[in-house]
Amino acid sequence: MKLFTKYNRINITATICIFLAGSVAFYFVLYYVLIRQLDASLKSEKQEIAEYIQSHHQLPEIQNTKEQWIQIIKTDQRETFDIKRSIPVYNKSEDETEYIRQLIFQVSVNKESFLVTVNKSETETDELLKLIILVTLSMVAMILLFNYLINRRLISSIWQPFYNTINNIKDYAANQQALKLSKEPIDEINLLNESLNSMTEQIHKDFYALRSFTENASHEMQTPLAIIRSKVESLYQIAEGKEIMMQQLLAIEDACLKLSKLHQSLLLLTKLENKQFILNESIQLQTILVQKCEERKELFQSKQIELLLNATDFNIHFHQHLAEILISNLLNNAIRYTAAGGTISIELNQNFLIVSNTAIAGGLDKEKVFTRFYKASDTGTGLGLSIINEICTSAGFTITYQFEKEMHFFKIGFQA
Amino acid sequence: MKLLIVEDEFSLRQSMIEFLTASSYLCESSSNYHDALEKIELYDYDCIILDIMLPDGSGLDLLKNLKQNNKTDGIIIISAKGELDDKINGIEMGADDYLAKPFHLSELSVRVSSIIRRKSFQGMSQMIIGNISIDIQAKRVMVENKELDLTQKEYQLLIYLAINKNRVLSKNAIAQHLWGDDMDFPDNFDFIYAHIKNLRKKMIAAGSEDCIRSIYGEGYKMQIA
Repeated sequence: MKLFTKYNRINITATICIFLAGSVAFYFVLYYVLIRQLDASLKSEKQEIAEYIQSHHQLPEIQNTKEQWIQIIKTDQRETFDIKRSIPVYNKSEDETEYIRQLIFQVSVNKESFLVTVNKSETETDELLKLIILVTLSMVAMILLFNYLINRRLISSIWQPFYNTINNIKDYAANQQALKLSKEPIDEINLLNESLNSMTEQIHKDFYALRSFTENASHEMQTPLAIIRSKVESLYQIAEGKEIMMQQLLAIEDACLKLSKLHQSLLLLTKLENKQFILNESIQLQTILVQKCEERKELFQSKQIELLLNATDFNIHFHQHLAEILISNLLNNAIRYTAAGGTISIELNQNFLIVSNTAIAGGLDKEKVFTRFYKASDTGTGLGLSIINEICTSAGFTITYQFEKEMHFFKIGFQA
Repeated sequence: MKLLIVEDEFSLRQSMIEFLTASSYLCESSSNYHDALEKIELYDYDCIILDIMLPDGSGLDLLKNLKQNNKTDGIIIISAKGELDDKINGIEMGADDYLAKPFHLSELSVRVSSIIRRKSFQGMSQMIIGNISIDIQAKRVMVENKELDLTQKEYQLLIYLAINKNRVLSKNAIAQHLWGDDMDFPDNFDFIYAHIKNLRKKMIAAGSEDCIRSIYGEGYKMQIA
């Protein structure tokens, strides 16, 4: 729900409630006041009649009007009456029930008792009341309408800078320049913008610091590794004739190689996560696939692996280097985890690439298979599949793993 | 053959000098940009081994300088930045080859030898190892006038062993030379053994002496007296 909608909903509900309660109270107060006025005029009528009787000792002559009429009835009752009441009467000419206000009191003229009823129609009062209520209600409606319109204009113009800010930060990515949100006349939004500016600037700095740290750490690591390797190579010449030394040197060299591969892999993963690659090259996966398989011909032969390759030629929007890494990693994995004499089958078309191979052991853990350092055996860096996964993610491809009929299936879907 | 090795790391520089000197190259070295600049302005080298990150400058500037002065020295870049962009940059700026750290010295030696051979035209395309003669340009191997029929990998292997003759080469180094480093190799390296075996068989059958030694199956060496 939008802030404005929420605000309006609360605001309008509250306003309507208050106005309703106010109108009801206003109605009753007004009614009370008008009836009091009627009563007062009834009373003054009573006063007049009483005064007339006192001075003339006879009943006054009655002149009835439409608004006021008096009935005088002879009564035997001795007790004193003084009743004020409203009663409904039927008005024949207008075919509706009207309320009248009555004042009933007793007078005695020459020892005779009369019951006088002074009637006044409430129609006028009612009409006045209706009119006042109508005016009030239309005023309420007008206030609500104008309130709504003013709020809408005002709030959307006041909040516009806020929405601008939100639009700006929505697409913000860490590898992007720090935000430069403008100064605003409203303090709160200005504060928000300033905070966001300094926050993104910090993020930007941290991002680059981390990035250059990772890169430098990786590079700096390669030089000592190069020294170790070159020294091992020199030692080989001395080790000739000492088998145990040869084996140990080879182990050092292996570890060295693994360490340097690990570094390259981690660096690549960092770059992928930071989206440092621009995937805008048109490449032919089939060419790469065929070439990479050809490079591994001897590996297939030495493990007696049968390769079934079924690839169609098409162009895809991708990155040459990443595509090579992707395919190399898939093939390396397939070769490593295929039993001797097994089969690797590769299917490539415009929609997907499936690499499947005969498994050595059972299926892999579907949940963990793409996580870093997950290894089914103790060979390899444990980063191959997470690199594949990261490359697919950055290219918008989908990757899934299946285990069926003693075969591992890795499927990359090109259309997400 | 005169080489210049520009590398700031003492140990690595020393290793390269030792290795390449043993391969009968005349090696000079520089540990920084200014010294290297002076040397390349004064002398001509057959090949310069150039590190990119130097304490007082960039190897790429040295490369630029060489190209501006129309020097024809062969250049091989060695860099810890094993990144594709650097590689492409270096090659575009006129380097002949690029080798990412860490590398095998035997690999460096092969690259240097191949650059030197490419740069000089006369008499260099022939390589003679014992009674084997290799015509690098025609990619032909002759053993006493009999031609050896080798596969591409066997040929590459022979060149590699021949350039690094009388040196122990580990299985790792051989595998990386032949198949590059984006592959990972099965632990047993059986397939290298198979290639060596085939090469030896062909050479012996053609009448060459059996000069490839296995060093406990961990490494190999071409022994030429």
